[in-house]
Amino acid sequence: MVGGETDNKDLMMDFSLNEEQRAWQMKARKFAQEEIRPISLQRDQIADPRKTFDWEIIKKGSKLGFRTAAVPKEWGGYGIDFVTQALVMAELAKGDSAISKTFSQCWKWSHLIAAVCTEEQKERFLKPFLADDTFVLGKGITEPSAGSDNRLPPDDDPKAGVKLRAERNGDEWILNGEKAFIANGSIAKLFFLDVRTNPHVRLRDGVTLFLVPSDTPGFRVGKVFNKNGWRFYQNAEMIFENARVPHANIVGEVNGAYKKSTGDTSGGDIFGDLELAANALGVCEAACEQALHLARTKMQSGKLLKEQQVVQLKIDKMHMLTEALRSFVLRVACEHDQKMHSANAGLAMNFSTDVIQDVTELNMDIHDGAGCVDVGADKLVRDSFIWTHLAGDSVQRMKVARRIIK
Amino acid sequence: MYNLHLSAEQLEFRDTVRDFVAQEIKPIALKPERLEPFEHPLLMEILDKASNLGLRTLALSEENGGAGADSLTSCIVTEELAVGDVDIAAVLAETSTLSHILFHRLMTPAQRNRFLPQFLKDDRYHLAFAGPEPGTDTRLGVNYHCASTPSRIATKAVRAGNGDWVINGIKDCVLNAPVAKLFVVQVATDLDRSDRQDTNLLLVPYDAPGLAVREQNQAKLRCHGAGGELIFGDCRVPAENLLSAEVGSAAALWNRAVERGSPQEQALNLGIGRAAYEAALDYAQLRVQGGRRIIEHQAIGTKLAEIAISLEVARNAIWQAAYASDHPDAVADRSLPDLPLQIIAKVFTSEAVYRAAKDAAEVFGAMGVMRDMPLQKYVHDALVCLHSGDGNSDAKLRIAEALAGYRRP
Repeated sequence: MVGGETDNKDLMMDFSLNEEQRAWQMKARKFAQEEIRPISLQRDQIADPRKTFDWEIIKKGSKLGFRTAAVPKEWGGYGIDFVTQALVMAELAKGDSAISKTFSQCWKWSHLIAAVCTEEQKERFLKPFLADDTFVLGKGITEPSAGSDNRLPPDDDPKAGVKLRAERNGDEWILNGEKAFIANGSIAKLFFLDVRTNPHVRLRDGVTLFLVPSDTPGFRVGKVFNKNGWRFYQNAEMIFENARVPHANIVGEVNGAYKKSTGDTSGGDIFGDLELAANALGVCEAACEQALHLARTKMQSGKLLKEQQVVQLKIDKMHMLTEALRSFVLRVACEHDQKMHSANAGLAMNFSTDVIQDVTELNMDIHDGAGCVDVGADKLVRDSFIWTHLAGDSVQRMKVARRIIK
Repeated sequence: MYNLHLSAEQLEFRDTVRDFVAQEIKPIALKPERLEPFEHPLLMEILDKASNLGLRTLALSEENGGAGADSLTSCIVTEELAVGDVDIAAVLAETSTLSHILFHRLMTPAQRNRFLPQFLKDDRYHLAFAGPEPGTDTRLGVNYHCASTPSRIATKAVRAGNGDWVINGIKDCVLNAPVAKLFVVQVATDLDRSDRQDTNLLLVPYDAPGLAVREQNQAKLRCHGAGGELIFGDCRVPAENLLSAEVGSAAALWNRAVERGSPQEQALNLGIGRAAYEAALDYAQLRVQGGRRIIEHQAIGTKLAEIAISLEVARNAIWQAAYASDHPDAVADRSLPDLPLQIIAKVFTSEAVYRAAKDAAEVFGAMGVMRDMPLQKYVHDALVCLHSGDGNSDAKLRIAEALAGYRRP
């Protein structure tokens, strides 16, 4: 551990991990070091956003269990607990934040399948998901004119939020409209989609959750968004033109996507908040590692950088924030494992936005301040910008605040 | 007396350039197909048009054929240009500033006659100063508050039999290198053969035999505009290309001219913030979420207010530094503090604009990180300014030395 009394640097935080948690952490660390890190920058630097993705790393990771880690054991997954999930996401993110997210995006929705799908749906979708190393999952919520409105729906405006429309036609639903920025949109084989089934009522009463396979007739992928960070991660436009989805693919009840009894109560938000905070932790660790390496090796006017007070103060702040985030992430994971759900997950997610940006910017500052402009330090800063709209914009903060205040 | 009125001429410059940015620069600079690629080549046709408007020769004195703009006017113009395209603004600011120092203050009448007509005639005639060399470290760092030995200049110039200067060495991080037609090159001449190093300035045309110019990656240099490396291999220029008749005197003049730094860099930085702010303000008045235009939400309104506060305060700091540079007597008569005002403006502006650009990007939600949209570029451009020069940590050390009255020996 940083600043520990002994050289056994794993001692302080890891003593409370059980053998299985430790084993997953080490497996993820090894995979990140040996397989992810060597391709991370190279993938980031590819200009065409459709070509940054790499199936080989997904297949390799899948064979090690990283794709299906969160599927319950009785369904043939690994059923790792939330603490282990947080540890693995952080380790993978230390290698590459976007690659870690591609794996954990599958966990996010396999939580959901396990929690709310019928046995028949599990047979149809969970089994092929488990069997195929290239089967990844996605969820479509956001649309060009429905972003914040889905996160914090206004009570008085039925027009706000999801507009992708589904109309019933016998045993099928006909979908028309589009989704934007959808994670894994161009590569996933199965999507959970929030779709309007009643346009005349407010969002929480008029949206249905559909399971939509990527080979659905009438569905096609539009553009793949060209992001400045998380370049490996594929966010795409999804276009539906009279797309036909069987009624049997509805999750829960019609118009029930946002209802506690049938909707997304265990998979999405509870995991999603922890996911972004844990991923940020890994990025912060990578930044700390880069900064320490430079401070210990770079000479300026005959002295190592680490001799300078201004550098020491930056290193201190980076570690102070990173360790605070680690404590917060593990606390939230631990609370989730004990089914104690509070605003803490959301707070940790908001906090991780501030921390990941401060820490990666300080790392860049140490590099640039020493005249060592570094593309690796630059990548971490660009990746950290993703947190702004995902985890730390004012809507994501007010959402948590309202949960606390009410 | 305290007066913040701009002159009619300054207001006209501002309006003209603002219009030029809206009509000519933005429609091209903000096209998705230009924004998306990692590289953004200089928009040469726009540089030509800007030259036609007189922006390349803005600071050149009127008797030499320029507009004779002072530092404050130059700041106003640079801010406006940077709202449209930061690289255009940087190239023009560099050539304009150098044209004043070079043609007005350093060249002999004979040199002026040789170089000025071509400079005035050719819209693509830019100027560059080649001082820094690979491995030169100008940071204070561990030398804060103690004497340090200035690094010696490795690029050497010796006299050939016919009096020509023969230059050998490498210069890097030279602003404007890829577009310059005339370089002012800092060289060691060692004419007096003593221990002391003689520094001189030579005028080197871009097509001088033995000079190779190589473009360098802008992001890596942490500067805007166009930068490059100059490689001199037995490069020859005539004896008359030595700046100033007296050997050594030009270098001292030069140092005095550039020592103060130019608040134009901060004006450029501010222009980036303005571009981000204007984009966010427009979008916040169009985008509807939560049942109303997002500017009507407290969260977004407050954010835009914070951005506006940052930009206004930064502009005050920059204009104060520019005014001090135009009126050295204002410090002498105690109207302005005897502080490194330009460095103070640099630190404040670069930090404030970086925060402002990030906040402006947040207003755009996910579109704030998309490469076909300008917001991510504004954030990146602000980041470059944040880390330009020797960085803000070093800048603060320089301010601290000044506060303590420490004079570098």
